[in-house]
Amino acid sequence: MSTRILPLELIDKAIGSKIWILMRGETEIVGTLRGFDDYVNLVLDDAVEYSPDARNPGEICKTELESEILLNGNHVTVLIPGSGPEDSLAASS
Amino acid sequence: LCEQVQVLPTLSICCIIMSNQNRKAPHKKESILELNKLIDSKCRVKCLGGRELVGTLRGYDELVNLVLDDADEFLRDPEDHNKITDKKRKLGLVVVRGTQVSLVSPEDGLEEIANPFMASEEEME
Repeated sequence: MSTRILPLELIDKAIGSKIWILMRGETEIVGTLRGFDDYVNLVLDDAVEYSPDARNPGEICKTELESEILLNGNHVTVLIPGSGPEDSLAASS
Repeated sequence: LCEQVQVLPTLSICCIIMSNQNRKAPHKKESILELNKLIDSKCRVKCLGGRELVGTLRGYDELVNLVLDDADEFLRDPEDHNKITDKKRKLGLVVVRGTQVSLVSPEDGLEEIANPFMASEEEME
């Protein structure tokens, strides 16, 4: 493939569909991408947060964030358009 | 006037010179990391916070945001997040944030060797 894909263009194409976000630690967020800015702060709809349960080690804590959320881009590490394959934390809980 | 020039710290003089040059020359996208050489080849990306990914580099920008295809994430030891295991999980087509990238290297031409520092420690004892 000679044409290269620009990362921010790929994120732009994902607007309106499900996106899976890996944060800097062990937290993951799945939601519908409504928009983003130059700093990749994200606006997500119907977001679900998956993080390791502090009280039970080895367990995943699933939190349904009911309203539209603004996710700070500071710790956003990996963005995956689509709600993730079978290997996600989402699938294991 | 000479006395005034001596008082100015060297750093600010350099900045003035550099900004003058930029106005004359057209803006050139310059990175010390030549990612165009790694396009379409397998790359290992280490992130701040310990995540490690391997995938085919499909695109990048000047801020080192990356597009990796068929990316796999290497999973870390659940007890000790600093230990990396051989287990992987498939991620697919991903964007890696440049602000979180600590290392990008080609996967081909990499091999793991025995720890050379351990051997010299034994010799000393």
